[in-house]
Amino acid sequence: MTTFILRRLLQTLVVIVILSYVCFGLMTLMPGDPVEMMISANPKISTEDIVRLREFYGLDQPVYKRYLTWVSDITSGDLGYSRTYRIPVTEMMGPSLRATFILSVTSLVFSLLVAIPLGIACALKPNSKLDYTINLFNFAGISLPSFWLGIVLIIIFAVKLGWLPAGGYQTTGMSYPSWWNEVLDKGKYLILPVVSLSIQSIGRFSRFVRSSMLESLRNDFIRTARAKGMSARVVIWRHAFRNALIPLVTIIAISFSSIFSGALITETLFAYPGVGRLIYSSIMGNDFNVAMISFVISVSMVLIMNLVADILYGVVDPRISYK
Amino acid sequence: MKKIGLVTTVLALSLFVGCTKKDATTTAEAPSTTTTTLTNNELKVGISQEFENFNPLIASMMATTYMQRMVNRTLVVIDADGKWVPQLAKQIPTLENGGAKITEKGGKKILTADWEILENAVWGDGKPVICEDFEFAIKVASSPNVGVGEKETYTQVKSMVIDSKNPKKCTFTYDKVKWDFYQLGTLFPLPKHLEEPVFKKFGGQKEGYEKNSIYSKEPTNVGLYNGPYVLTEIQLGDHVTFTPNPKFYGEQAKIKKIIVKLIPNTGTLEANLRSGTIDLISVLGLALDQALAFDKKIKEEKLGYTVLFQPSAVYEHIDLNLDHPALKDIRVRKALHFAINKEDLVNALFEGKQQPALHNITPNDPWYTADSSKIVTYKYSKREADRLLDEAGWKMGTDGIRTKDGKKLSFTLMTTAGNKTRELVQVYLQNQWKQVGVEVNSKNEPARVFFGETTKKRNFDSMALFAWISSPESSPKSTFSSKNIPTAKTGWSGQNYMGWKNAKVDTLLESLDTEFKPEKRVEIIHEVLKAYTDEVPVLPLYYRSDVAVIPTQMKGYKLTGHQFPETNEVEKWTVE
Repeated sequence: MTTFILRRLLQTLVVIVILSYVCFGLMTLMPGDPVEMMISANPKISTEDIVRLREFYGLDQPVYKRYLTWVSDITSGDLGYSRTYRIPVTEMMGPSLRATFILSVTSLVFSLLVAIPLGIACALKPNSKLDYTINLFNFAGISLPSFWLGIVLIIIFAVKLGWLPAGGYQTTGMSYPSWWNEVLDKGKYLILPVVSLSIQSIGRFSRFVRSSMLESLRNDFIRTARAKGMSARVVIWRHAFRNALIPLVTIIAISFSSIFSGALITETLFAYPGVGRLIYSSIMGNDFNVAMISFVISVSMVLIMNLVADILYGVVDPRISYK
Repeated sequence: MKKIGLVTTVLALSLFVGCTKKDATTTAEAPSTTTTTLTNNELKVGISQEFENFNPLIASMMATTYMQRMVNRTLVVIDADGKWVPQLAKQIPTLENGGAKITEKGGKKILTADWEILENAVWGDGKPVICEDFEFAIKVASSPNVGVGEKETYTQVKSMVIDSKNPKKCTFTYDKVKWDFYQLGTLFPLPKHLEEPVFKKFGGQKEGYEKNSIYSKEPTNVGLYNGPYVLTEIQLGDHVTFTPNPKFYGEQAKIKKIIVKLIPNTGTLEANLRSGTIDLISVLGLALDQALAFDKKIKEEKLGYTVLFQPSAVYEHIDLNLDHPALKDIRVRKALHFAINKEDLVNALFEGKQQPALHNITPNDPWYTADSSKIVTYKYSKREADRLLDEAGWKMGTDGIRTKDGKKLSFTLMTTAGNKTRELVQVYLQNQWKQVGVEVNSKNEPARVFFGETTKKRNFDSMALFAWISSPESSPKSTFSSKNIPTAKTGWSGQNYMGWKNAKVDTLLESLDTEFKPEKRVEIIHEVLKAYTDEVPVLPLYYRSDVAVIPTQMKGYKLTGHQFPETNEVEKWTVE
């Protein structure tokens, strides 16, 4: 097991290095650079300024040299300086990563809490009215574009009903006498983005749970468990659901891997200061340091979560072992 | 299962609070988010563009420039009426008032100007704003280790002599003898008493100053600001909070707290306004079509807002590539101009809220002229367009497109992809030109490709539709002078994307820089405009308008239409 994990971690490192170089190279191929962005915002910048700034930021150097400089900086603990926001990357990314983590985890937990019972209910009564109704909503959820759903939610709950804020992260200038007040205030701002993000996931997860539960319920050991007089609850949760978990673990692991990548559309629509928007603006603004760190985080998360999923297979299914 | 659910919920809530606690800023008030009665206690301003660190030397984003004016002031500025006025300075030095002098030393002309800072101008911590703060800013900007965008603004002041008796009085010696020496609207002072130790410690490292500046490390330090407000909270990507600066030298700000909130999606700005998340949409918010639609809703639903439209310094136009064989013929260029019904265009697409353009100088600029004895004007005339094209040898074909020597009169009109307004204009123009037998195809590219490659390297086949923004009384040298035609040899510098060459214009532009008589400058620029409008290297379309949405209770809010935004008079804003 230890050898397996170490081997996978080593592979992960190699993949990160190769992909980061490819990503770095691709970014340099994009027309325009941070200096171009400055020119478009300031017509008074002179030709001398342009030449000086390109030299200053090392934009006149070949790609491999720039990449090596970047690698040597990050290995020495310096994540660099954001050309767009003019502050060190570490100071900028921390709050955004936290905000996105909260949004994504809340959405994932909420989706699972809703989707698993729905999927099981459908599997227990396949082709029933309940199954058809839930499926209808599942397909609707999967099909609805998130930007449209987000706008509809804002119009209904913020503009028409005035129950929830249209966007933001917290009430600016709000004082929090207790942690509960803070939860209530920030929670209010989370409801619409979480619902907007979750609708699609609920549909997806619920369909997965339904199909894997159906398959699991067809197994002989379920019939045996029932014949032994076990309660329906024990049969469903201890026997059927545990065996239905493997495909679900995969999909949850994949969803978890994107937890720090952000949800660009939702974050933009709800003015949520998450990392998705940050990554987008850093790529568009050729903000290499921010884009590359975001990229490394995303790639690492995908690879690590895949590794976690592989390990979890062994936990949920003792037949799977690692050598 | 119940236990697991409960534990999960508690964990999620604890995590949620634990992870976000550091971002919470505690203040005395707790305003409601969705229902607010607008008072002078708080005003929430919506913007749709990202902002950055507030160091005035480093910042370059439009949104930061917008907010910078709330907290920092400069010696001079252009007011809402388009005139240069003193701000931190007691008066603007001129040759006439004796404040500026041109002397000769060793056969070389030298320009000096005496500046005096207002006696009561102080930083937020009470330290006076003195000449040394400007001197220090120039020193930082001149450092090769600091990435200042517009360096010339600072380095144009070659040396400074500070009055030994009065630290607020100094004489600037400029590196060039130029008439616009007093236009120091972007030369910000830096609080030397706070920033000098940082610069001494880190100024020797590349980007060391930027990374360690107090503007980065402690942006809420009141000593960094000298404007009517100070920054009390900043969360990049979300909002900035400002409160009045009690030490401000001028009129005290009336609104007790201003929160500038970033709503990146312009489509949801209106919803945020109507739900009370914001109270006002700034000039960096809605697009014109969105503003026009909201204006109608305001009238229909009798909402308590006003949409402001203000002609701006943004000039929307089409650069013609004069290397294109057909466009080398001046008659073809004139015909293309005559074939555009600009009045109809602005009425059909912008409900008349944007003005048709005659040339590159915008109507708020003192140099503007619409006098047809000074410039060549092109009133829409299909007949005249047809006549010029016939004269140039382009004969109408059976398919309705003109041809000459077996070649169709066909152009490619390029612009930025995804810009709805420009795409509409494109379609409109295609239709107008088709009526005179000119085929125009569209080819749009993402803005970064269009500006980063296509226009910069003159890679557009024939037509490039985009906009220039210029400050009043600004020389068009970078776009008109033949020295500024981008080529590989010059590293693609310069913005004369048309490839326009006119020796007389080049000479006039050179003389403009050193002409100190205002009336003479106007004469020079009108001569330039005469050549520009006569030779048609560019097809002027319209002058864009700035838009903002304010509550009807709001007073003192005035859009400027130029690069010094309405926040320059933020202290006058009030809610009645």
